[in-house]
Amino acid sequence: MMDDFEKQIQQALQRKDPSPFFEARVLATVRRDAQARRARWRMWWASAVAASLLIVTGSAWQYQKIEHERIAGEQAKARLELALKITSVKLQKISHKVEQIEN
Amino acid sequence: MKRILPVVLLLGLPLAAQEIKMPPGLDKLAAKASEVVDVNLDGALLQLASKFLSDKDADEAHVKQLVGGLKGIFVKSFEFDEANQYSQADIEEFRAQFRPPAWSRIVSARSKKNGENSEILLKTDNNQISGLVVIVTEPKELTIVNIIGNIRPEDLRDLGGKMGIPKIDVGGAVKQSDKKNNDKKEDEK
Amino acid sequence: MVFSIAYHYLRDRSAAEEVAQDVFLQLHRSFDDFKPGPDRDAHLVHWLRKVASHRSIDATRKRRTQPATGLGVALDDAPPPSVPAESKDFLLQQRLETLIGSLPEKPRMVMVLRYQEDLMPEEIASLLDMPVRTVKSHLQRSLAMLREKIDRSMGEIR
Repeated sequence: MMDDFEKQIQQALQRKDPSPFFEARVLATVRRDAQARRARWRMWWASAVAASLLIVTGSAWQYQKIEHERIAGEQAKARLELALKITSVKLQKISHKVEQIEN
Repeated sequence: MKRILPVVLLLGLPLAAQEIKMPPGLDKLAAKASEVVDVNLDGALLQLASKFLSDKDADEAHVKQLVGGLKGIFVKSFEFDEANQYSQADIEEFRAQFRPPAWSRIVSARSKKNGENSEILLKTDNNQISGLVVIVTEPKELTIVNIIGNIRPEDLRDLGGKMGIPKIDVGGAVKQSDKKNNDKKEDEK
Repeated sequence: MVFSIAYHYLRDRSAAEEVAQDVFLQLHRSFDDFKPGPDRDAHLVHWLRKVASHRSIDATRKRRTQPATGLGVALDDAPPPSVPAESKDFLLQQRLETLIGSLPEKPRMVMVLRYQEDLMPEEIASLLDMPVRTVKSHLQRSLAMLREKIDRSMGEIR
């Protein structure tokens, strides 16, 4: 049997609900994960085939292609980081402004 | 595309986020600006960038998850040496593309003191966020962010302090940089 | 349940949603491991509580190595407007939430599982991989600490 104090603790720790879009976000994440796992399997298979071809043909052209993709990927990553940096900084400033107005 | 656009307008539907147009006045601002940032990452480039985000680094893995479902990130930012280098009419023309019911303005903050206006607009489809636009206009700076896909503004805001992204405190000062920035500075020495 | 465990433990809505999302993603990946049968639901609930608890504790450890991200109290963490602010019970519960949030890792999770999920010490011990007597000890000490701090800060409440 719980005493009154423990019942107050139970009240304080009542279950809370997540935000309204939470369920949709989780479903989207799960779908993306399932697609990514299928794509990773396909990519693994494609890489295995490509690696075999590389061994068979000994083509330096394929190595160049992979290297070009790596450079393009690193550049895309850098641009993504820049975009996120600008967006995050602006949103932080807006958030502070809203807090100041509401206080 | 030319035949489809008038039909869309006749139906009164808002343009899809990826068809957001920059008015001609804004598009030519690069020539007047002292600093320009123009980032255009469509779905394919986002996927490519994501591949190079490490699953082993907590921050990069978090960003990877954040941008995983996005279809595009477009950022245009202009800094000018002088004030009033862009027209408010151009901003209004740009803003007019985001109309209810598809779009809603969730934040609008104006400061008469420093002439700064900030807005956050969200597009929703079936109760799910499908687009985000941030417009910040200052006398010597204009920033427009357009993100297509499901992402919450607070998730982007909370990247401050991670992956070299500055964390801004309430007074506007930049807080401590994260490990990544410190490592980079060490490498540059 | 999953979100709520993380929320009361982390006291950060955004972090709690992240933990909850990770848990559900993990569930999706492991779902085939749960064999159909009359006990499956009970196993699922046990698994969800266990993973949610451990992920929440991990999230705290990760946050300790990162700069604080709080920008003050977010509006969605503010108390619900319908509860009158002058209510003694309301103030007490707010204070209790804060104090429980300041407990060390393991005692804090023990309290959340005991009073939010209404679990017995034996079940809590199984979820957190700790001896039953340790769970009981955490409960006793935490309750004693909470009573003392509440008595000091709010006068006679009970």
